[in-house]
Amino acid sequence: MTMLRPLKLTAMFIGASAQHELAYRANFWIGLLNSALNFGTGLLGVMVLFEQVENVRGWQYGQTLAVLGVYLTVSALRSLFISPSLDALAGMDGEIWRGEFDFTLLRPANTQFLASVRHWRLFALVDLALGLIVLGAAVTQLDLPVSAGHALSFALTLAIGGLLLYAILLTFASLTFWNPGFLFGWVFDGLFQMARYPVGLYPGVLRLALTWIVPVGIITTVPARALSGDLPPALLAGSFAFAAAAVLAASALFRAGLRRYASASS
Amino acid sequence: MNPRGGVALIKATWLSWMQYRSFFFLLAFSWMIGPLVYLFVWSTAAGGGTVGGFTRGQFVAYYLILILVNQLTIAQTNWTMGDLIRGGQLNRLLLYPMSVAYNTLASELAGKVVYLLFVVPVAAGLALVLKPELHLTLANALAFVPALALAWALSFLWGYWIALLAFWMTRADALVTVEAAFKFLLAGQVAPVALLPDALRALATLLPYRYVISFPVEVITGQLDRAGLLTGFALQLGWLAVALGLYAALWRRGVRRYSAIGG
Repeated sequence: MTMLRPLKLTAMFIGASAQHELAYRANFWIGLLNSALNFGTGLLGVMVLFEQVENVRGWQYGQTLAVLGVYLTVSALRSLFISPSLDALAGMDGEIWRGEFDFTLLRPANTQFLASVRHWRLFALVDLALGLIVLGAAVTQLDLPVSAGHALSFALTLAIGGLLLYAILLTFASLTFWNPGFLFGWVFDGLFQMARYPVGLYPGVLRLALTWIVPVGIITTVPARALSGDLPPALLAGSFAFAAAAVLAASALFRAGLRRYASASS
Repeated sequence: MNPRGGVALIKATWLSWMQYRSFFFLLAFSWMIGPLVYLFVWSTAAGGGTVGGFTRGQFVAYYLILILVNQLTIAQTNWTMGDLIRGGQLNRLLLYPMSVAYNTLASELAGKVVYLLFVVPVAAGLALVLKPELHLTLANALAFVPALALAWALSFLWGYWIALLAFWMTRADALVTVEAAFKFLLAGQVAPVALLPDALRALATLLPYRYVISFPVEVITGQLDRAGLLTGFALQLGWLAVALGLYAALWRRGVRRYSAIGG
C-alpha cells in the first residue's frame, strides 16, 4: 500500500457521501436550523452566566468562550466523519448488528482505516465554521497577542483532543463486537456535554474524573488554556502521552474485536 | 370510552417498557445531564457568596428539583404518537373500541414510572453529597402540587398537538428541535428565569415553555411573590386551554385526512 492510496480512498469516500447527502435537500434546511440553534444556545448559555458574574474560579468570559469554541469545533470534527463512520459500523442497526460487516472485512484495505473514514457528513462543515467563529470571538475577548507559539500549541492540543475523542469512540465501537446491544456511547455523549464548560468549574472529584477517567477535560479545556497562553508544558506532554496511549489501546481492542467477530444474519 | 380496557392497556404497556429499562435509564440519564451541568456551573459561581440572590445551596436545591420535574413532565409524544402516524401503526389503534389517547397515556405513565425509578435515587444521592438548601413553607408546598399537575398536563397536550402535525408533515422533528432550544433557554435550565437578561425573561414569562418545567420549581423554592404566583398560574391555565383547543381541532381534521401507510 503506497502512501497515497489512503488519501485517494478517503477522497472517494467523501465524494460518495456528498452525492448521497445532496439527494436529501429538505434535510439541509433542518440541519441548518439545528446548527444555528446549537450555536445560539451555547453562546447564550455562556453570556447569561457572565452577565451575573465576572469570573468563576478564575475562568473569565473570554476563556470560557474559548472552551465553548473548542467544544463546537471538536464536535463538528466528530460529526464530520468519526461518528457517521463508526455509527454505520457499530450503531443501532449497524453493520455488526446486521452481520453485513463481512463485506467490509473482504475489502483489500486496512479494516480500521475503512471503518473510521468511510462515511462523511459534509454538513458538519457548517458546524466547524460556527465553532471557528466562536474561537475567533474568544480570541478577541481575551485581548492577548496570540503569538506563533500559542497558535502552534493550540493546534497541537486540538489535534490531541481530536485523537483522544477518536480513541474513546473507537473503544465504544469495538465493544460492540462483544455485545451488539451496547449503548455506552450514549453515556459518553451525556458526559461529553459537560465539556462545554471548563472542567475547573466542576467540583473536585468530578473534575479529576473528567480529566483523567473520562477525559473530556483534556479534549476541550486543555486547548482553550493553550489559546490563552496558560498551558504548563508538563500538561501538554501529559495530554500527548495520554492520547497516544489511548489510540494504541483502542486500536488493539478493535483488532481483538475483529478476531472475535463471528458474523451474524442468515 | 372504555376505562377497563384503558387500564389493561396501561398495565401491559408498563410491563413491556420495564423489559427495556436499561435503555430508558440511559435516556433518563442523558436528559439529566443538561440541568446537572448548570447545577455545577451556577453553584461553583456562587461559591461562598450569592449570585443574583441565590446561594450555592439554593442553586443545588433549584436544579435538583428541576431535574425531577423535567423528568416528570418531559413530552415523549413525538415518538409515542407522532411515529405511530408516520409509520402507519395507528391503524391498529383506530380499530380499538376506545380512544387512541389511552395508548399515548399508557406510554406516558409507563415511561414516567421507569424514568423515575432511575432519577429519584440518583437525585437523592446527589442531594446527600451536594447539600441543597431549601426553606420549605406549607403554602409553597401546597401551591407546588397544582403547578406540577398543570405543568404535566400542559406538556402532554402541547407535545400531543405537535405530534399530530405528523398527519400533514413527515418531518415535524424540526419543530421538536426548536422547542428543545426554547426549553433550554426559557424554561429555567440554562439559568433560573429570575437571572435571565430582561428581554429573555420577558419572553420566558410569556411563552409556554417556562410553565412546563421551571414554574413549579420556582413555586416550591419560594422565588415568586403573590403577583408572580397568580400571573404564573393564569398563564399556565391559558396555555393549557390553547393546547387543548389545538389538540382537539388537529385530531378531528387529521384523523379524517389520515390514509395509512404500511401496517
